[in-house]
Amino acid sequence: MQPVIRLDEVTKRYGSHRAVDGLTLKVPSGVVYALLGENGAGKTTTIRTLLGLVAPDEGRATVLGLDSTRQGHLVRSRVGYVAERPTLYDWMTVSEIGWFTSGFYPSGFYDRYLKLAAQYELPLKRKIKHLSKGMRAKVALSLALAHEPEVLILDEPTSGLDTLVRREFLEGMVDIAAAGRTVLLSSHQIGEVERVADRIAILHAGRLVIDEKLDTLKDEIRELNITLAAGARTPHTLGGEILSERRHQHQWQLLVRGLDDEALAALRNAPWLQELGVRTPSLEEIFVAYLKRADEGHRPARTAEEEAVLP
Amino acid sequence: MLFHIDPSNGLAIYEQIARQVKFAVAGGSLRSGHLVPSVRELARELAINPNTIARAYRQLQDDGVLEAVRGTGLEVAPGALERCRQERLDLIRARLRQVLTEARQSQLDPDEIRALVEAELSLMHQEA
Repeated sequence: MQPVIRLDEVTKRYGSHRAVDGLTLKVPSGVVYALLGENGAGKTTTIRTLLGLVAPDEGRATVLGLDSTRQGHLVRSRVGYVAERPTLYDWMTVSEIGWFTSGFYPSGFYDRYLKLAAQYELPLKRKIKHLSKGMRAKVALSLALAHEPEVLILDEPTSGLDTLVRREFLEGMVDIAAAGRTVLLSSHQIGEVERVADRIAILHAGRLVIDEKLDTLKDEIRELNITLAAGARTPHTLGGEILSERRHQHQWQLLVRGLDDEALAALRNAPWLQELGVRTPSLEEIFVAYLKRADEGHRPARTAEEEAVLP
Repeated sequence: MLFHIDPSNGLAIYEQIARQVKFAVAGGSLRSGHLVPSVRELARELAINPNTIARAYRQLQDDGVLEAVRGTGLEVAPGALERCRQERLDLIRARLRQVLTEARQSQLDPDEIRALVEAELSLMHQEA
């Protein structure tokens, strides 16, 4: 299937700083796709590039087959977008801003907007400037959804909102996904992402660290808590990819990817092992491990020569 | 039925949902012929990705716990009670095995473990 959103080798520089650095991404149709990364990792620049609000220095971005740079206005008319800090005309009332925005879209927009506003219990006659932060966010979401977009793009939609409003946002997002439409969101709320995302991409310094199905990550990654037998040498391979490890004397804690049942069984019987605990880490733990690794640059695998002999 | 989902729990979310349905059937709060909520309803209620709910339901169908009813949705299959009770037993057995392994790794011998289990059981009996 044609990806709904795609970036091909996109680079965006601000002075000598590369906000986005050779980024290639494909978002398939009908998924909830989450962009994760620290502040400054390039999430907002990526989103703004897709919407045609930022012109890339290199590469190409498309949404629904439209070129983001050359056809940005078309992209924006087909996509629902909620910015982190939505700019709304403060002097308009809740109903006025819906009426005003409906002028840019085909008929039916205003009716659907009013329906959404009622669902979110927004006071129609109140001016935007007198709304709470949560209500403003709901106005922005209603405006983004009222034209029934095929794609919804949300940049940190729930940051700074209270729990109840965040929950309503999530329910809205889930509903869009249930209707078979595509959602791209960036978020710092990893717990929320874990609930709603099909697929996640981790960005670091403008580059892609991983882009995978959430289920795959959770199926393939395990945390091992190992107690080493006294005097034992640690092995140089466990049969999986070590994402992160910490060691304190005889305690060895690792995040390992792709350790199959056979390798795990072999591990249980290894002479150097005294005790083994296995658990599935949360997305947050996986995220931290990948980021730290990206930060250090990929370390070469440990070799046999580097094996430490424990006291 | 009511679900409790913990996304950061080690268990995949679809597995949590499937398990809770099975436990509800095993416990008798969900009976043969009962309809389960639609994918969309449950996705919205739990704020969970609908594909995840669909995956849980698919697994429950594969396991013979749910079956499709034309035009209405999914309902608890006849014979699900037996299957779910068996599965609950298997899960408890697996968990018990984990605890026992841990006990053995802590250098407890079988008699000490048995004494521990007996003591806990009689404590529970007194409390009840």
